[in-house]
Amino acid sequence: MHAVATTNGTGWLPSLRAAAARELLKNGLPGNKDEAWKYTSLRRLEQLREIDGKPTVASAAADAQDWNTPLAGFEGYGFGFRCGSLHWLEQAAPEGVILSTFRDAVTGLMDDGHERLRRMLEAVDFSGRSRAFAALNTALLDQGVVIHVAAGVDGGTCLAQWAQADGRISRLANFRLIVLLEEGARLNLLEQHLSMQGQVAVEPPSSSGGQGLNLVMQADLGKNAQLHHFRVQQDADNSVLLTFSDVYQAADSTYTYAGIDIGGGLVRHDLYCRLAGPGARAELNGAFVLDGERLVDHHICVDHEAPACSSEQFFRGVLGGSSRGVFNGKALIRPGADGSRVRQSNANLLLSDLAEMDTKPELEIYADEVEASHGATVGQLDEQAVFYLRSRGLAKADARRMLTTAFCRAVSSRISDLALGEQIAGLLDAAVSGLNIVEENSNAA
Amino acid sequence: MRNNEQAMLEVRNLHVTVAGKAILKGVNLEVRAGEVHAIMGPNGAGKSTLGNVIAGREGYEVTAGEVRFRGRNLLELSPEERACEGVFLAFQYPVEIPGVNNTYFLRAALNAQRKYRGLPELDSIEFLRLVREKLEILHISDDLLHRAVNEGFSGGEKKRNEIFQMAVLEPTLAILDETDSGLDIDALRLVAEGVNRLRSSDRAIIVITHYQRLLEYIVPDKVHVLADGRIAASGDAELAIKLEEQGYTWLEQGGIASLQQRASA
Repeated sequence: MHAVATTNGTGWLPSLRAAAARELLKNGLPGNKDEAWKYTSLRRLEQLREIDGKPTVASAAADAQDWNTPLAGFEGYGFGFRCGSLHWLEQAAPEGVILSTFRDAVTGLMDDGHERLRRMLEAVDFSGRSRAFAALNTALLDQGVVIHVAAGVDGGTCLAQWAQADGRISRLANFRLIVLLEEGARLNLLEQHLSMQGQVAVEPPSSSGGQGLNLVMQADLGKNAQLHHFRVQQDADNSVLLTFSDVYQAADSTYTYAGIDIGGGLVRHDLYCRLAGPGARAELNGAFVLDGERLVDHHICVDHEAPACSSEQFFRGVLGGSSRGVFNGKALIRPGADGSRVRQSNANLLLSDLAEMDTKPELEIYADEVEASHGATVGQLDEQAVFYLRSRGLAKADARRMLTTAFCRAVSSRISDLALGEQIAGLLDAAVSGLNIVEENSNAA
Repeated sequence: MRNNEQAMLEVRNLHVTVAGKAILKGVNLEVRAGEVHAIMGPNGAGKSTLGNVIAGREGYEVTAGEVRFRGRNLLELSPEERACEGVFLAFQYPVEIPGVNNTYFLRAALNAQRKYRGLPELDSIEFLRLVREKLEILHISDDLLHRAVNEGFSGGEKKRNEIFQMAVLEPTLAILDETDSGLDIDALRLVAEGVNRLRSSDRAIIVITHYQRLLEYIVPDKVHVLADGRIAASGDAELAIKLEEQGYTWLEQGGIASLQQRASA
């Protein structure tokens, strides 16, 4: 099914894909003996019977422009990858922004950008078993989008939506998103993952279910460029989402990430930020609210290569039901990266005895004059605070919900775009409302 | 309801243990509508325990006795039901709640209480009007409204916030647990102002304090001395002055007996 791009001297691409395929076949998939996958079982992947393949929903349905999105009122250009096929949103990209399919981009549409694209694609590290999904994504490189913002241009808001029908589709889709920001360029990237409930699958449902996406995002930020990346993940319970974000940052560039996971079955986010030029800044914020059997795993590495860079990781997790969370946040300060500033904070609330959280902040410092702090907690709601609220008249469940909501909002309040921050806060609130917030029977009064 | 013959709060033979240790050993107390009572006593006497048990804090085991509030058995109600019935505890150590806005929290609390009483909920405009009025009366700066509940507040600010909440919620029975401790004279006056404004014929107030200082501004109708888990002495405002002069050790040296004799004479 895969179109192989072989025109215009892109013979390097089949070679790259073949190399990735060989690496994948040699290593196989990671298991609990691999440190980076120790807490995250891939059993759910077994439900998936097929990788990539033809679109799964009648095109008319997937085409619909009035497609429901969780973030209402955010206009923008961009694309939707719906049930296996790519659609452009109606609004045109602003001047200075080029949006193209991956296939068009590699066959030369990007002119002088071509070599750069090739270098980027070849730079993705897919060696070793723990990188198996990057290898898989590279082996099947075909579907994708390239966003290019010219120097000094404010690219506005680009929407990127991934959705699969909420039928029992046993397929893992692969997608590559490439974001190129030239010097001084700016872009808001609003990424959304959701299921298209009520859409009818073309194929009859199979007995085992699940939908899957293996997404690799590569961002290349020029000097002074700014990428503000938002991710709202509301996938169905039986879905699998594997993301790997690889961000390269030149001097004085800024990458901010604000992600919320309020859905999904098995969710794994790998995030690698390479602070390659002095003065670069990475600010990573995330929150998840889990119930049922959901699992959300964050593996983050911020690589301080250049001096005078700063990074912050701020993650909050709420776990109900028998959900599981994993957080591994690493900051690596290489020799010579003097004057680096690093902050890490990971706090988690367990609302149920069956929920489990494994958290591991890591700092590796090989430079001088580094300012670093980190902290990780896993705990329950503060009963003193619950009593304080109840003593003023709030029902126990309302008191617990108010505290849990506030805990999550610590993440959304860090979003500098207030309107978007408020919307994301609202989504978090709704997710908290859906949790069974009181273990024993609450007092209705 | 307005029957002054029946006490608003009746505490009878209250025995309370905390982690197996007896703290209250038979407390009897009657507070009528319109009255202000002061409960004094040395540290560790059980003053705060009494306030916490009335408000419904967990971790206290009532082993004997009862607490009735306007005829209802208070001990079988949840903390929120007690609040909705009109009981308010100003905390000795107000809890910091990061991320919960003070105004949002207080409006949710007031509306929960109004709903319980069958009153319509206040919308944000009505609520803000009420809140500004209370702030003005108490001379509290409105930056309090924009902050998270008690987060990063100084000791004095936390106590002001308790009094502000009390002013907005207008409880039937307010218990102030050492609200005066650690306050400068201005903050002390503010606390007194809050209490005195709440004073009315259908409300009652219990002021738990270690020192007589606050009682210069809030003149109590009755003063009780709690010592070793029991009310050791009761009297009028003069008892507080006597305690301040003589110190609590004086109690143990027969001072109570002489005072009681004087009070009954």
